[in-house]
Amino acid sequence: MSSSKENNRRNFIKGIGLGSLFLGSVQYGLNANTNKENKKPHYAMIYDQNKCVGCSDCEIACQEINLVPKNQHRLYVEDQTKPDDLQHKKYMRVSCQQCIDSPCTEVCPTGACHKDSITDIVTMDIDKCIGCKYCIVACPYDVRFINERTNAAENCNFCLNTNFAKGKDPACVESCKYDALVFGDLNDETAYINKILDVKDAVRLKPGFGTKPSLRYIPKLKTGVYDE
Amino acid sequence: MNELITYSSGFTEEIGWEWPISVYLLLAGISGGAIIVALLIRFYKNQIENTAVYKSASLVAFVTILLGMVCLVGDLTRPLNFWQILINYNFNSVMSIGVAALMIYIPLSFVAVVFAFADFVKERFSFLTKIVDLLLKFRVVLEGVLFLFAVVICAYTGFLISVLVRFPLLNTSILPALFVISGLSAGTAALCIMAKRVFNENVHSSDMKILHKIEWPIMAIEILFLAMLYISLATGNEAGKIALAAFHEGSWSTVFWVGIVCIGFLLPIILNFSQKEQENSNSIFYISAMCSIVGVLCLRLFIIYAGQTFSV
Repeated sequence: MSSSKENNRRNFIKGIGLGSLFLGSVQYGLNANTNKENKKPHYAMIYDQNKCVGCSDCEIACQEINLVPKNQHRLYVEDQTKPDDLQHKKYMRVSCQQCIDSPCTEVCPTGACHKDSITDIVTMDIDKCIGCKYCIVACPYDVRFINERTNAAENCNFCLNTNFAKGKDPACVESCKYDALVFGDLNDETAYINKILDVKDAVRLKPGFGTKPSLRYIPKLKTGVYDE
Repeated sequence: MNELITYSSGFTEEIGWEWPISVYLLLAGISGGAIIVALLIRFYKNQIENTAVYKSASLVAFVTILLGMVCLVGDLTRPLNFWQILINYNFNSVMSIGVAALMIYIPLSFVAVVFAFADFVKERFSFLTKIVDLLLKFRVVLEGVLFLFAVVICAYTGFLISVLVRFPLLNTSILPALFVISGLSAGTAALCIMAKRVFNENVHSSDMKILHKIEWPIMAIEILFLAMLYISLATGNEAGKIALAAFHEGSWSTVFWVGIVCIGFLLPIILNFSQKEQENSNSIFYISAMCSIVGVLCLRLFIIYAGQTFSV
């Protein structure tokens, strides 16, 4: 009687030991998995307003590489120089903000506007697009358009099908002579983009919409105190 | 919006969604509104026979929603790719939900036409008799579902554009309610015209009297909702104040005050009170019904154009 009781206790303790070992390893495995998922890239871009001189090399390079029709743009540089202060030039990049919570992919009825499964970059499946323009009116940044050649909606997708596919930086980044643009993976701790974000104040546009854009802007702080 | 850094120009130099969408929103409103009103009368009075109002409603609903589909597909930049929306669904998208609802609503509105003209169909197309009889067995259920989806169609058109965050005039919770009630108003008006014009319904029949009576509370609620929209924008934040300018500035404010307020609300009221008992009121009947429809069309145009013009 008593020996069988002891046996029971021994078995119970053994069971607990083996069980916790098993569960522990399962837990570890799951953790390892989630860690891997966290490693999914988050591509982002920095536009430094202090460095941009408005040469529009980026616009031209983008049009050429992505076959954007002549009078249309995936990105353009807005001249924000005040007419009464031409000494202090100021430029601004206008393009898809690559939102994490992107309204365009939310509203697209066919899923043509989607996030790429590997890179999470907001891009278009042109074959699926019916041209309903819902993504265009839903975008809080007004940076989507209908391509006149394909009649499908389009946006800056970090050259996903062109330069990115070849392992190169986006065309605008590649063509910028003044290093005003930096492209990289925010989840890669060693990436140059993270080093810049560590030391510079970079802001998101219209944060009130809560779309969490991946484009960061370094605002112009030059006040002209050293002139003359 | 005063932010540290932003840009002033966007990619849509013009308006993203134009008048075909406004016309579609009107037609969908008429379609849903007519069915809702006719079925309410039918349920309320426990009607078994096919009244002129029911016949008109089924025809109006089916024809307007088909015309609406023409507008909708015509507005696409790739209309030949339309089938993609029928096989791909994204239920985060109000448009996808709307398409799914339309896939149920359009056949059901056709079934309502079959119900309304069951005898005629059986007579002319005798080979369909069995199918018609089978459908008639489930008439109450089918009409119930049709009623539900008519409400969904009216409401979804409002939700479709109220999710557009860039346009404070559209991005309000009152918009779907306003679209349902104005759809009822236009639907009732279209119903009246059809019943009298095509089915020679007496203006003083009991059904028409009900239609005439409910017109006023519907209009009152419509005015109330518009006032609520105006006040919520006026007392709201900076975005609201940008949108409020739509009521006072630019050509679309004229559409609001002349089209919606004068033609849509004031003219029918004036016409109705100026009307004398014995007078032949045919023309007044048609004019005031047309005024309601024109008013609702102006409302849709105003919402679409002014809404997109005054963006943040």
